[in-house]
Order: sequence, then structure tokens, then C-alpha cells
Amino acid sequence: MTLPESPLGAELRVTGLRLAAADAFRLGEMGIRLGTLAHVTQHAAFGGRVIAVAGSRFALDGGTAALIDVEPVERLG
Amino acid sequence: MSCHGTAQNPVLSRSGEAALAPLPLLRVLLVGGPNVGKSTLFNALTGSRQHTTNAPGTTVELATGTWRTAAGDPAGAAVEREIIDLPGTYSLLARSSDEQVTTDALWELARISRQTSAHPGVVVVVLDATALARSLYLLAQVAETGVPIVVALTMLDLATTATDSPLAREDPETLAGALATTLGIPVVRMDARNRTAGGVSELAGAVDAVAELPLCVRGIAPSTSSFCYGAPGAALRQYDAPHDDLESELEHAEALFDWVEHVDEQVNSCLALPLPRLLPESEPRRLRRTFSDRVDTVLLNPWAGIPVFLAVVWLLFELTTRFAAPLQSAINQLVNGPLAAAVTWLLGLLGLGDSWVQGLLVDGLLVGVGTVLTFLPVMAVMFAALGVLEDSGYLARAAFVADRAMRSLGLDGRALLPLIVGFGCNLPALAATRTLPRARQRLLTGMLIPLTSCSARLTVYVLMASAFFPDHAGTVIFAMYLTSVLLVLGGGLLLRRTAFRDVHAGPFMLVLPQYQRPHLRTLAMSVRLRVGSFVVRAGKIIVLTMVIVWALMAVPVSGQHSVGHVPVTDSLYYSVASGIAPMLAPAGFGNDHAAAALMTGFVAKEVVVGSFAQSYAVAEPGSPTRAESLGERLRTSFAESSGGHGGAAALAFMVFLLAYTPCVAALAEQRRLFGWRPTVSALTAQLAGAWLLAVLVFQVGSRL
Repeated sequence: MTLPESPLGAELRVTGLRLAAADAFRLGEMGIRLGTLAHVTQHAAFGGRVIAVAGSRFALDGGTAALIDVEPVERLG
Repeated sequence: MSCHGTAQNPVLSRSGEAALAPLPLLRVLLVGGPNVGKSTLFNALTGSRQHTTNAPGTTVELATGTWRTAAGDPAGAAVEREIIDLPGTYSLLARSSDEQVTTDALWELARISRQTSAHPGVVVVVLDATALARSLYLLAQVAETGVPIVVALTMLDLATTATDSPLAREDPETLAGALATTLGIPVVRMDARNRTAGGVSELAGAVDAVAELPLCVRGIAPSTSSFCYGAPGAALRQYDAPHDDLESELEHAEALFDWVEHVDEQVNSCLALPLPRLLPESEPRRLRRTFSDRVDTVLLNPWAGIPVFLAVVWLLFELTTRFAAPLQSAINQLVNGPLAAAVTWLLGLLGLGDSWVQGLLVDGLLVGVGTVLTFLPVMAVMFAALGVLEDSGYLARAAFVADRAMRSLGLDGRALLPLIVGFGCNLPALAATRTLPRARQRLLTGMLIPLTSCSARLTVYVLMASAFFPDHAGTVIFAMYLTSVLLVLGGGLLLRRTAFRDVHAGPFMLVLPQYQRPHLRTLAMSVRLRVGSFVVRAGKIIVLTMVIVWALMAVPVSGQHSVGHVPVTDSLYYSVASGIAPMLAPAGFGNDHAAAALMTGFVAKEVVVGSFAQSYAVAEPGSPTRAESLGERLRTSFAESSGGHGGAAALAFMVFLLAYTPCVAALAEQRRLFGWRPTVSALTAQLAGAWLLAVLVFQVGSRL
């Protein structure tokens, strides 16, 4: 599923970054890479999302959020 | 590796002797990500000894200042350093001209350092304790250039108190010490908002010591021939070189991420924390909502976010118009009343009363200075309001909320704010472009702002609409505002397809700062710095223009009058207007009165009505009878110059007034922000565009 399809507050793992290579690279430099754990903290207008990654909050527009694939994190115990 | 060092130990313990030696004027570069407290630190270090300047060959504004501290030598002489606040960036692989300035400055320092035996500069890398992984990545890139580095650790209060921070409840001093030990360079814990307890003297000591004896960041290979002590080997990175090979960049970035992970492990082992703590994988299983998260549920809400944003913009609009207006009026009265009277009296004592010297000083110079002074309240209010929005953390949210609206123009969401403020006054709107993160976006927005119909133009719309369309004046005025919006959109789209093809709205990816209470002292210093820059750099042009206008008005053409005692119609000014009038004939208002009014409008739109009144030799509309008189004259002359299509000519005149240069102050501010070349290009385009539009309106209107 993609970020906009994810419920608020759920723990997610980034599994795909289908952005242009340069944009995905910058996102990686900012701290969002494959395998990164995140939570969606806010739904904004026009599909925009705010996600929490390692204590920081990232605002992503709807188009960008839709190009980020995530999966729910299942923890044992 | 021992973990028991204090934050500054790696250098201070080794170079304490050297630090006492007199230093040359050292250059200190402040580098860090956006919203890490870099500018707050800059203000704390420089106090009032700072000014703004553009980076060479760019429109990127840099704050430069003098950082003065008392020296440790017995003579007690102060040590001064030049300090530059470089644009914030997440990476040295620049993606904008602003980021490129930072990269270039670092590389230049590294180059100069290699060429001389002395160490001319030190880089202070500002690390955000709430986002250490991201900050460490930038530090690694800076370290690769081989420049001497000191780390300033900020946001510790937020990192150690935020409920979901990996560093929550960690002792700040311990963390700084652990980082210093791990990195092998000085790490100074900063609280820039509290100058007395903020680590300023510690930072000064660390910077001076590192300038004497640079150290390398542990685990990072600096560039070839780096001079820093303990370099593990030569690296092949050159961040100022083109970086088109993303595969290679990605590979290298992975190596840096590994280094960041290694630092994380080392710091954690020093802090005896379970691993890992600082990296993304450290996110707790259940999200703990922060204060900022709770505020954002309202401010970024899909339904409430946009109305809140519009309310904030409305507030800005009100502050720069209604709130500032009484102050502007008071200054205007003071300058033109008691001050002008005092200068006149003084000149009278010197035997220069009623001479051209009095005209030059009182009607030229003093009017120019008064114009600059009357803009001070509106500029100060705008800078203060923007500072509050920026420091509080809301400006980043505003960019997010308005992003969709500006995307079609290729602009950042923050561009909407100055564009709306422009409908109040173009001058503070231009100043507000500084909140945009990219230089090209600032320039494009700055080119569009003059097309927003400021309130000064309204007085002319009211006069013209009442005179020519008395039954539909309201509709005509509304149509002018609608035209203004269409011009901004049309102009934006046109510029994006021509001169600004490189400007495009990429993905919106922004780190949202936590909400904070703005710091009054920092805010006041920022306002003082920016208002000072306006007075010095834009004020000179405004005063000079006013003096030139006075000279044109004071010089007679016929020779029947003396200099300074000339009726308007015999002045050089009016003669120039007569020369321009034929060029306006295709637009239907090729008469001397309209041309003179437009020339006056170049100085300020507020005086266009007065210029009409003056040139028609009637009083300004103060009573219904007099207004009728001015309206009658307007109708007569516009009908004459348009072949009986006065209404179409009046509409064309209003469109011209809307589209050409707003005022000399706005022009001076454009020059201050963007330089002469873009300003002259914009001026030419505005005049050509205004003429074309006016001709189009008249030619179509006169045939309907």
C-alpha cells in the first residue's frame, strides 16, 4: 500500500520509493530510505501526509506520498 | 575509546597554548540544515554587528557579521572573526542556487586553506539534536571537504524533553561529550537563545583552537592534500563538481549512512543505551504524540488548515496596511511639517530662503528621505510578522498548506503569502519573498508581485471609475482586481515557459520544525538588520529618484521662470511627459495630463490623483463639486485623445496603471533583492506589457 492509504498512527516500513531518482536520493539524504520505519501523524489537504521518522516530522505532498510504498510492521510479542 | 571527555576536550586540551596567540581575522562559516537554529546562533554571536549582502553573482542573501569576544591574553584585546550564515541545506549535493552557495563557500575555504600555510577559516556545523542522523550526514559531507570543523549542538532542550525523541531524558552535557569523543572534534552544546548560558565563549575557544590545529572527523576521509591532523586517507569527493552520476552518489551516500550508523553505535555505547537510538530504526513501536502533533491536527487539518492559512495572511495584510498606516501618516506629517519648517527656517537664516537650494533640500532631498522613513513602519511590521511565523514553526506549515495552490506556477507554497500581501503594498510583499527557500523562486515571485494591485492604485481606480462609469464604478473596480489576479497567473505561466523554464515544483518534502515560542531579542535583531538593509540599499535609490524628479519639476523650459519657481506646465517634467504622450496614443490616452500622471505614478501611485489635479490646475477632489470638476476635465481630455471613446481609454489607462512599475520604492527593493539586471529586465517587461495590454483594451473597447 501507499502512504495515503495508510491509517493514522500505524507503524509502517518504507518498501518502495517510486519517485524520480534524484528526488528519492534527496529523500534518502533527509532520512527516508528503504526500510525506514515511520508513522503517519497527520492527513493534510489534497492527499498530503505528515510522517514521523526518528523524532522528526516530514511533510509530503499528496503526489509524493502516493509514490511511497509502505507495509505495516508486525512485531512479535 | 574513552567516553569520559568533555565536549571541547579533543582540541582545547591540545592547543590551549596556541589559543592565546593573536589570531588574524578568521572567517567562520555557519553550516547546517534548515530550521536547526543556525540563524539564532548567528544573531547570538554577532549581536548588532551584522549586515546582509548577496553572494557574489547570485541573488542569494547572506548574513555576514563580526563575532567579537574578549581574548584570554593579559592585554585583554578583543578577538574579532568574520562570520557568515550560509543558506541551510540538507546536503552538499546542491539542488538549488541557495544550496550551491553553501557548497561553493565550503569548497572555496578548503581550496584557500590548502594553498596557504595559515588556516583562514573554520566551519561551525550546526547539528540538530532532535535529528542527529540527518545532521551527521551533512557533517560527514562537510568533513570530506577537509575544512577545519567545530560542531555546535543545538535543540538539545527539545531533544531531551520531546516525548518521542530518541534522546529523551538524556543529559545534554553527557551527549555532547559522547559526540565529541566519537567524532574527534570539538562539540559545543549551544543554547543560542540564552546568550549568557549558551556556550558562546566555549564555541569561541573551540573555533580559535581548531583554527590553530585542525582535526579531522574520525572515520571520514577528507579531500586530497587536506591539512587536518589525523587524516585517514585521501578521498575522491568534490561537491562543487557536477554530480550527474546518481548511482555513484548513492553508493557514496550509503557509505556515509554507514558512518552515521557507526557514530550512532559509538555514542550509544558511551551513553550505555540499547542500540540503536539515533537512527530511523529507533522509532518507538507506538507513536507518542508531541505538542506540535496536537497543534498540527488543527493547523494542517484538510478542512481547517486552509482557512487558518488564509486568516494568517489576512492578519499580515491588515498589519501592513491598517496597523502601519497611522505610523506612516505620523512620520509623513513630522517630515513634511516641523522638519521641513525647521530646514526652511535654517536656510532662511543662511540667506538661502526661497532659493533653488531650499527647493532641492526641502522638496527633493527631504521628500525622498521622508518617503524612505514612511516605509519603515510597514517594513518593520512585515519583517517582525514573518519572523514570528518563521520562528514559531508555522511558516513551514504554511508552505505545506498552500503548496497545491502555487504548484501550477512552479512555486513553493510560501509564495502565496507575499502575493496576497502585495494587494496591500508591493514593498513588504517583495521583502516577504525572502521566506522562499530557492533563489529562482524568489526572483519569479518578485517579478509577479508588481502585478498585484496594491491599495495605492485603488485611489486612481476610484477616480477613473467614478468619472467614466458612475453607475458601475464598483463593478469596474472589482474587474481591476480580477484583472490583477489574471495577470499574476498569466504572467507566471508565461515566465515559466520562457525565462524561468528551470523553475518547477518538485516533490514537496520538508522537515517540519517543532512549534516554539519566538525569541524576542532574536526577532528584534533580525528586524533591525533587515530594515537597516532596506534603508541603506533601497533608500539611496528612492532619495536619488526623488531628487531627480524635483530637478525635472524645477527646471523651466520656456526661460520665463527661474529654477525652482516653475509652473508644472512649463517644467522639464511636463515637457518630457509631452514627449511620451504620442506613444500612448494607440491606447487612447495620449494626452499630456495622462502621461504626466503616469510619470508621477512611477514615483508613487498615491500621487497620481494629485498629479491629475495639478496638471488640470484644479484642486484635488475634496468636495463633490470639485470632484465633478476634475472628472469633467478627465472625460473631456480622454474623449479628445481617444476620438470619442473616453470610456475605453479610461479602462486602458487603468490597465496600464495596474501593469506597469508599482513605484520607485518597489523598484529599489527589487534591485536590493535581485540586483540591477533582473530589475531593469522586469521594468522593461512591465512597461512593454502594460503598453500592449492598454492598447489591446482600448482597441477592442473602442470597437464595441
